[in-house]
Amino acid sequence: MQSEKKIKFLDRLSLLRETQFGAFLPVLFALTAIWGYFGLILPIHDLISGEAENFRAIFLSPRNIYNLFMQSAVIAALAVGITVVLLLGEIDLSAAATAGVCAALLGVLVLAGVPGFIACLIVIFVGIIMGAAQGLLVAYVGIPSFVVTLAGLLGYQGLMQKILPTGNLNVGDPFVRSIARILIPDIWGLILALFVFALFLFTTLRKQFQRKSKGLELDNNWTVWFQILAFGLIVISAVLTLNAYRSLPLLLVLLIAFTAFLDWITRSTPYGRSIFAVGGNAESARRVGMKIKRIRVSAFAIVGLMAAIGGIFGASRYGSVSYTAFAGGSLLLEAIGAAVIGGTSLFGGRGSVWNAILGALVIGSLGNGLDLSGASAADKLMVSGAILLLAVAIDALSRNSVGGR
Amino acid sequence: MESKNDLVGHKVPPAHLIVRGIDKKFGGLQALKDADFEVARGEVMALVGDNGAGKSTLMKVLAGAYSADAGDFFLDGKRVSIKSPNDASALGIQIVYQDLALCENLDVAANLSLGKEPVKNGWRFLPYFLRPIDNLEMESKANKAIKRLQVRTLHSVRSKVSGLSGGQRQAIAIARAVGTESSVVMLDEPTAALGVAQTKQVLEVVKRLRDTNHAVVYISHNMQDIFEVSDRITVLRHGQNVSTFITSNTTPDEVVVAMTRGLDKNSVGSV
Repeated sequence: MQSEKKIKFLDRLSLLRETQFGAFLPVLFALTAIWGYFGLILPIHDLISGEAENFRAIFLSPRNIYNLFMQSAVIAALAVGITVVLLLGEIDLSAAATAGVCAALLGVLVLAGVPGFIACLIVIFVGIIMGAAQGLLVAYVGIPSFVVTLAGLLGYQGLMQKILPTGNLNVGDPFVRSIARILIPDIWGLILALFVFALFLFTTLRKQFQRKSKGLELDNNWTVWFQILAFGLIVISAVLTLNAYRSLPLLLVLLIAFTAFLDWITRSTPYGRSIFAVGGNAESARRVGMKIKRIRVSAFAIVGLMAAIGGIFGASRYGSVSYTAFAGGSLLLEAIGAAVIGGTSLFGGRGSVWNAILGALVIGSLGNGLDLSGASAADKLMVSGAILLLAVAIDALSRNSVGGR
Repeated sequence: MESKNDLVGHKVPPAHLIVRGIDKKFGGLQALKDADFEVARGEVMALVGDNGAGKSTLMKVLAGAYSADAGDFFLDGKRVSIKSPNDASALGIQIVYQDLALCENLDVAANLSLGKEPVKNGWRFLPYFLRPIDNLEMESKANKAIKRLQVRTLHSVRSKVSGLSGGQRQAIAIARAVGTESSVVMLDEPTAALGVAQTKQVLEVVKRLRDTNHAVVYISHNMQDIFEVSDRITVLRHGQNVSTFITSNTTPDEVVVAMTRGLDKNSVGSV
């Protein structure tokens, strides 16, 4: 009896994960649990046990949420890129090192007097080349991506040290700094949120209407409205919270815009479909005439692009480039962890770039919350490891129960 | 070998695809030797033989996956050449491999349009691979294809292939092959891994293919299935033709004997 129930639960879990919106639910649940723990349970516990004089709602304060979003932005940018290669069933271990090289190069370029905007473009171009070079080795030479990008990780770490012999460089360029500093005025941030919400409402309802007129099967009305409401609630409350502290930062708008663009590419174009097809069954993709090698190279180029953007974000936010913040630190593992916690399968063919953003928030919240509650670095590492393990376990279980018939 | 042509004629419509004198060597191994084969529209031609008889090689030659060392191909009486899979599919010859090659992570509609997704109009400034997919058009197409083959048990073209039964997957793979303007559909052991009910479902689909005037090549080991669904049976042995039977004039035993021992001059039904 017991095992039967368990199987049913797993089946339901995997069916849930097959739907577009359902794929968000596990990571949203994880995020809610973490926020609930650090934001409510821990302060209440402190209050009752007398450790604190009054209710300390630091974690869920607008100021902390703002910092949380900004802290997670670099992880998120990398995680979004890594998601694309994970969809192919490949992995990229060099993303953080690539971001480091790009950030270091950016610092050196603006120091040499190159205008910030031009320097950013150069760095993005370099990032794409660095990614594509690894993609060429994976696709055309046939080396497993794990090995290629492990070599890339080491090589790019070395390259970053060559560019930054001191391991540290301040970036004062006004253009670069402005990406993290510019705030969208409160009212415009809200208008933007409402506009995005209206767009979502319009496209969702229009799709439903078109389905009806073409006589196709309809989405459940409850689900549709639930999606619309949840989307609106999340977008508008996020902007209101940010407004309550400062305002919506340009950096977040850029991150969301890049992610939305990549989401469109991966889910709505023949190119994106081919990424999913290669990740699901490369032989099938080959037989219908897809150019698998080119697809692999382009996916690694996308990681390079997002790594460069992550590097620019980091340089802009910290106002400096340091070896430990990128190539030498925990950024890589946090980014891969974010992609996987978001629900993107390590086995390829399933996931979405939006999930990577949520996964990055989970990782960022954990670090932030544990910092606030005075946990040691050792605790942080162990809890992050446990969460990552849990996410991969969910992935493996839901894969088995569907695939293992 | 002469006996083969004796059996073709009055009962059978003119052949659609004919191949004559196919030779194929792999190193020292002669996989096919002077093999002949033909199939007509509106007919299910079974291709049988023991393991290593050359069935799969012949099928792959027809599909362009292997190129023959010698031999002639005729389509509707016109000589054609099949040197690559693209040649074959341009001529309307489609193959459904035993391993199906479906993407389990995608839904039925996406699998049916894989590699040739319909895109929305008005995005011509973008290259094809970056234009938005017209999902609704894709679903309508899939619905039509499923309806044509009468895959009744499939509830929705939006369900993921990973959740389908073996029979449904086979039907989807067949529908994908048929969807592309094809006239010849080759099925490699379509019921090998299936239970009784699902085998029945696939055989129904094969019959639908025949009724929609396709030329169907059906490779199988299962005599029961072959006798239920085929119109004629071509037997290969050691890469050579043994005989072609009209299904209604022969028995499973006779075909098995032909497969395993070749034709005996004295044997009864061989004409």
